[in-house]
Amino acid sequence: MALLSERDAQVVREQLSQLQKKIEIRAYLQKINCDSCPDAEAILKELSGLSDMLEVRLLNPQIEGEEAEADSVDRVPTIVVSDGENSRARFIGTPSGYEFSSLLATIIETGTEKTSLNEKSADFLGGLEDDLDIKVFVTPNCPYCPGSAVLAHRMAIASPRVTSEVIEANEFMDLSGKYEVRGVPRTVVNDRIFVEGALPEDQMIEALDKALAEGSEEQVNLMELLQADQGE
Amino acid sequence: MSRLFVPDPPGEETGSTEADVVIVGGGPAGLTAAIYTSRETLGTILLEQRQCGGLPLTTDIVENYPGFPEGITGSDLVARMKDQASRFGTEIVEFGEVERTDRENDRIVVAGSGREYQAGAVVVASGSVPKKLDVPGEEEFVGKGVSYCAVCDGPFYKDRDVAVIGCGNSGLQEGMFLLDYVRSVTFVEFLPEMTGAKILQDRLRKREGTTFLLNHALTAIEGEDFVESITVRDRETGEERKVEVSGVFIYAGFQPNTAFLQGVAELSSDGYVRTDEEMRTSAPGIFAAGDVRVKKIRQITTACSDGTIAALSASEYLRDGRSKG
Ligand SMILES: Cc1cc2nc3c(=O)[nH]c(=O)nc-3n(C[C@H](O)[C@H](O)[C@H](O)COP(=O)(O)OP(=O)(O)OC[C@H]3O[C@@H](n4cnc5c(N)ncnc54)[C@H](O)[C@@H]3O)c2cc1C
Repeated sequence: MALLSERDAQVVREQLSQLQKKIEIRAYLQKINCDSCPDAEAILKELSGLSDMLEVRLLNPQIEGEEAEADSVDRVPTIVVSDGENSRARFIGTPSGYEFSSLLATIIETGTEKTSLNEKSADFLGGLEDDLDIKVFVTPNCPYCPGSAVLAHRMAIASPRVTSEVIEANEFMDLSGKYEVRGVPRTVVNDRIFVEGALPEDQMIEALDKALAEGSEEQVNLMELLQADQGE
Repeated sequence: MSRLFVPDPPGEETGSTEADVVIVGGGPAGLTAAIYTSRETLGTILLEQRQCGGLPLTTDIVENYPGFPEGITGSDLVARMKDQASRFGTEIVEFGEVERTDRENDRIVVAGSGREYQAGAVVVASGSVPKKLDVPGEEEFVGKGVSYCAVCDGPFYKDRDVAVIGCGNSGLQEGMFLLDYVRSVTFVEFLPEMTGAKILQDRLRKREGTTFLLNHALTAIEGEDFVESITVRDRETGEERKVEVSGVFIYAGFQPNTAFLQGVAELSSDGYVRTDEEMRTSAPGIFAAGDVRVKKIRQITTACSDGTIAALSASEYLRDGRSKG
């Protein structure tokens, strides 16, 4: 059964028609011990039929071990969005519900020359001296999550210093536990800078800039940082 | 699997910034207004700060919207409304927040997110957001046990004890949803009685793992790194006590999204837009619909009803050459 209505499929086709380069989606899936892999596979198959510029490769990390290693895959499903060179944005878990829109936005951002980030963000990314590893925890029914997910991915696509993972928190309770996720979206940068809830682009960049400038090894809550500023 | 959500691209691609009617907000009220104005062949642009849908996106199942005897998920229902508005030609712009409204001669300017739109008439359908209670611990524990969205965060509380603050319709309904995951729900209601629908009350009372603290005020949310307990005060006896919970879901009222209307149209002291029965605000050419209005019953059906009236009033206003308002 088609997962998308005819109208939705048409909207997706139109959006994908913006692609200026070929996009490869490397989906690492396996048949056993992965409850969500069939869903992820169905979603990606549906998507691949909607644009000639999109190639979906279904890979089994047990069999295609070398590629899995090159992509540092340590769990399934892992979905890497790549234009051949740039593979810094990925989804861990099934991009269903609202996260389907994040996947779509990530594909388009990767496959078009122009960044959707504003100038301030581009400046910030251009001046980065450290690598940023961003994890955004989401759930499929969270309408606020794509904002955070797509922002992280756009940063990763724009800067070779940034990598980002959007993690379906329900599917990976071990990771949710490790990163103390009790609400989504939760963004964690370099395992120590974090924020609950969806911050708009400007605030996110401003707070990140501050947090990095402080250069401490301590945990930093970006929301507290922003509020402290307002209090001044 | 959750229904795959496909967003509409922002307006840049289509480019138009001029319309007969601009609608602010893509919840049930705004989408209904859009169905009506675009079906009347008025050029219609709908601006939504996130993705369309509004509050129903944060609810699991809607059982009281006519035409769906088995109930329908909130996101499915609004997705259908959105399809219907698009079908009649509404141009939907998502991820575009409205920050300002102004009048320029006989046009109304609606601006935000770096874009500016002009229209002959505007329908404000920007709804409301869950209200913070401002009790100690609330802000501190957001994302660490305090949540305003059960469908987003419910799964993290599997087999745990949680509290739902507020026993109106949304609190009871989301409490019901949470019971699929959690071990117990303690409902806390400030008033001596629950205000939510009787059928929900009856269903919940029959469920195991539910406790009701009526006429109780939430006074604090406590914990070390995560929420561990809440303190409630019995409003009759004044007695305080702690309830151990790891999650607190707050459904204690709403506040309207009307910052962009300040000084433009008359608002109530708590920020809701005042309208007459035809949904006219104090500003000629600006109409309001749905939860954002001063009114008593805030439901999807009444939001749709408002949307209908606002759309037809806007249409009449445009037709009459802006002589009314
Ligand atoms: C948990 C919960 C469960 C509920 N269950 C039911 C139910 O079962 N049945 C029922 O009938 N009702 C239910 N309701 C109530 C119902 O959801 C609301 O009455 C209805 O959604 C109101 O519609 P609206 O269009 O006026 O506002 P909203 O649904 O709030 O939509 C407003 C929209 O405007 C957008 N917006 C706000 N500000 C701006 C801006 N500046 N620029 C651009 N866009 C903006 C918002 O993002 C939002 O999408 C429930 C509510 C909640 C919270």
